[in-house]
Amino acid sequence: MQANKHLLLWTSLVTLALLVFAAANENVFKEWRRVQSAASGPSGPIDVHLRQVVVPTLAVADRCVTCHVGMAAGEPVVAGDPTLKRHPDVGHDPNVMGCTACHAGQGRATEKAAAHGDVHFWPTPMIPLRYADAGCGGCHTHIAVPTVDRLAAGERAFERNDCLACHKLDGRGGTLRPLGAGGMEGPDLSFVGARAFRVDWYDAHLARRGEASGGPWDDSFGPLSREDRDALDAFLRSRVGAPKLVQAKATFNSLGCRGCHKIAGVGGDDGPELTLEGAKDPGRIDFTHVRGEHDLANWLAEHFRSPATLVPGSQMPVLSLSEPQIDLLVRYMLSLRRANVPEAWWPKDRVRAERLGEREFSVDGATLYGSFCAACHGPNGEGMRYPGMPAFPAIGNPDFLAVASDEFLTSTIAHGRPGRRMGAWGEGSGGLRASEIATVVAHLRSLGGVALEPDSRAPRWVRGDAALGAQLYGAHCMQCHGARGEGGEGPALANAGLLANATDTYLFETIRRGRRGTTMQGFAQPSTVRPTLADPEIESIVTFLRSWENQP
Amino acid sequence: MVVLAPPPEKHDALRRFFANLRATPARVKDSAFRGGKPNTDRTRSTFVFGNVFLHLHPVRTHRWSLRWTATMGLGIASLAAFLITLITGVLLMFYYKPHPAIAYDSMKDIAFVVPTGNLIRNIHRWAANVMVLTVILHMARAFYTGAYRAPREFNWLIGMGLLVLTLGLSFTGYLLPWDQLAYWAITIGANIAQSPREVTDALGLTETFDVGGLQKLLLLGSDTVGEEALIRFYLLHVMILPLGLVALLSVHFWRIRKDGGLVRPADADRRLGPVHAADYPVFTEEPRKTYQLAAVVRGKSGAVARGPENTVPSMPHLFYAELAVTMLTIAICVALALVSDAPLKELANPQVPENPAKAPWYFLGLQELVAYSAFMGGVGIPGIVLLGLGLIPYLDREKDGTGEWFGGPGGKALVLQALFVGFGAALAIEAFAIRYGWLREWIPDIQQLWITVFNPGTVLTAIYAAYSIWLVKRHQSTRAGALGLFTCFLCGFVLLTIVGVWFRGPNWDFYWSPSDWPGH
Repeated sequence: MQANKHLLLWTSLVTLALLVFAAANENVFKEWRRVQSAASGPSGPIDVHLRQVVVPTLAVADRCVTCHVGMAAGEPVVAGDPTLKRHPDVGHDPNVMGCTACHAGQGRATEKAAAHGDVHFWPTPMIPLRYADAGCGGCHTHIAVPTVDRLAAGERAFERNDCLACHKLDGRGGTLRPLGAGGMEGPDLSFVGARAFRVDWYDAHLARRGEASGGPWDDSFGPLSREDRDALDAFLRSRVGAPKLVQAKATFNSLGCRGCHKIAGVGGDDGPELTLEGAKDPGRIDFTHVRGEHDLANWLAEHFRSPATLVPGSQMPVLSLSEPQIDLLVRYMLSLRRANVPEAWWPKDRVRAERLGEREFSVDGATLYGSFCAACHGPNGEGMRYPGMPAFPAIGNPDFLAVASDEFLTSTIAHGRPGRRMGAWGEGSGGLRASEIATVVAHLRSLGGVALEPDSRAPRWVRGDAALGAQLYGAHCMQCHGARGEGGEGPALANAGLLANATDTYLFETIRRGRRGTTMQGFAQPSTVRPTLADPEIESIVTFLRSWENQP
Repeated sequence: MVVLAPPPEKHDALRRFFANLRATPARVKDSAFRGGKPNTDRTRSTFVFGNVFLHLHPVRTHRWSLRWTATMGLGIASLAAFLITLITGVLLMFYYKPHPAIAYDSMKDIAFVVPTGNLIRNIHRWAANVMVLTVILHMARAFYTGAYRAPREFNWLIGMGLLVLTLGLSFTGYLLPWDQLAYWAITIGANIAQSPREVTDALGLTETFDVGGLQKLLLLGSDTVGEEALIRFYLLHVMILPLGLVALLSVHFWRIRKDGGLVRPADADRRLGPVHAADYPVFTEEPRKTYQLAAVVRGKSGAVARGPENTVPSMPHLFYAELAVTMLTIAICVALALVSDAPLKELANPQVPENPAKAPWYFLGLQELVAYSAFMGGVGIPGIVLLGLGLIPYLDREKDGTGEWFGGPGGKALVLQALFVGFGAALAIEAFAIRYGWLREWIPDIQQLWITVFNPGTVLTAIYAAYSIWLVKRHQSTRAGALGLFTCFLCGFVLLTIVGVWFRGPNWDFYWSPSDWPGH
């Protein structure tokens, strides 16, 4: 019995000690208790208790404010630790939407690592603070943004025309008062894209200028060109309080990423869909080749530097991006996170995009081309070459645009080139609407700088000698286009899509005048290395090419 | 004893009132605990049989039963673990909400904001694991000391029922956190319940007689793990199974007394020798109560006719032992709870299967067999094992070695040999199957029925059975066969569980270490 008594005594003491330790852990040594007891407001130390922001409709119970006390509603201004400071003034009050709606992380947690999501088994860790505005993407992923160039043009117009004299924008400008010392400053335009602005702002400004005598109305405001006003409109529409994120999206829209990647059903199929790229679970990512901290941002950055190192077998070419560009793309990728919030909480842009059919990118020609075409055909239609891939055609080539009709371009864009990388971009596949394809075609025309030469001949006017054509093809064309027109250095000619869309004039003229800047020289031009072909000979080649049309 | 007030006088009602008021605390105590302080043999007996919770105990306990090596306290440890899970479980029920939309959130709340919520959940989880372990060890103790033999055969069966209920309780609790671990472990479990389909499919009976599908439907209430499954598991976990367990436990305890206390060797008295001087002297006063009822109870009862020399009063000897084991169990559970958090993975996501999806550890041995044949691993072999365990007390009618560890023909040497055979056979067949594959790898379009009949699990079972039959012949004793078979199955269980826990990775492939898993 003595042994049992001893066992009872010692196990009881051990249990007691363990429970005392647990109680102390629970009530004294909690991290947040230390944070709160170290803080003091204007009227002495603050009350130490658990704080939270609860938003039932968003299923949010965010206890972030237990440590970040200054960000909770009705809390005093707390001195000391930067953890405790107030939330900066952004479009949203943390007490209305909670914290995790924008920043992600684990709102229910009360320990730092767990709350920030830097733990196993929390699929949505906090967005790194340097990319904080990527959190806007949860709801505002749909804001229409043009290309980098268009955005820069707008910004230049804004600065050149002295708008900053009266208006604040993203924390700059707004020093002059139009009516002298007592006058009001011009409205802050940092959020003007989110809150909408008068379409007749220009006329209204002009009218005010007419009334004014002297002061900034005279010094700083003058008539603007149509071009500047368009650029300003596009620029102002993108001022939603997140300039870096807009710049990031503009970068994405300029590099032709949608040529391979779909976002919300619009884009190519060659790469993975990116709609929820920013919400990827880091716990399911292989970080073997990622330097630095193992978070999604670093993984994305490393992936842009060398896609195939991180994703074995990846088809994505190395894009040779600059580090600032990579940083912007990472920011945009992180913003692709479409939160599942009730429709009542949707912002205007999301309603417009998902219910009213508006686009989440600008639908001007430059942006459409930049978003969908630039990666393969070059930012200015100069074509592209990536290691290990056939060359992508230069569709901005004037010789091409002079003979390619709008119908030819429209049909090629809408239906693609079966058998080649060019996919179909019509509504059923790539997701572009007819009007948008027309806009792209118009933009292409502006790239070439030449007008289409009018062609009054029938689409199939050529009647040549196929046998002669075959002979000439073998002599002059086969080397680049392949014995059966399967393509090689030059594009494939025995392509159903090409032959169905191309008129005889298109083929004839292309052979006759060639494509400047490519190895395709015009066969009507005199040359020292090969004979010049006469028109009937070229016609016979066209006839021979047509013979492939009916082959399976 | 309470000193009563002096005889009443007239007109002193008020004085009596105050006197009674003063005496009330003492009287309340007196009326609650009859018999006064347990400091004599008589009052000690009253202490036991006068208390509803203690009267399941005998008034006096044999000294053999109090030796640590007699039971290792495993039964009491199991009970203690159960009581810990009961109390912590009720506390958790205040905060847990059994609906898929909020179950996970309520788990997070328990972990982060409920005062000591995380600790209580950890204790609950560890106590549940300790309970599974101690129940298995308790069964092994009962087996190796021959405690299943007459007259305790039926209590052995009840013990088996308690084992099944314990596993059921642990398994149903697994789903409740509604995280990835829970979701996919239960999906595996439900598919095991469906495994008879493997046989009905092969026989072409599934259309008319889909017992597997029915089992799964009964378990989940739906085709997949969802809100129906969650409420079912919750109800089973917090009500049906605990009530069933308590009912069976009562019978289990009651039968211990009715079957003549704990098992001990026939010559226990001789081996114990005289009562140690330090121990409490026995029968210091004349008994007031006679054992009149002893005449009507059949069989061996209490200490009658065998002399009370080697018994000591249960109060305090037995109770100190029981309290010590209980406290030890609590200390272990609390210590483990402070050291290791109960797992809580990501929110359950039916779109993203866990790979590997693993059942709770005590089922991983079965999952290892399920990898070859769902029916054999999930239903066939567990069925054979349970049937074999249930038959043991009815086949082994020998007396030799009862009450002694590894008692019986063969003894320790046999168990040691069985240990080698059991581990060796399991290791060999696992190594073979891992290195060379099995029928499916050799003949890709083989009928599943062949694998159902002939797979590592059935081969291992056959080897164990053959070895056991050889032991019966060699030692001319059923007990020898049972010792061998039980040891072998224990070895097989341990080895397969180890392989399942530590050496199986994605797609149930073999890996030396989780750090070799792809994607890490």
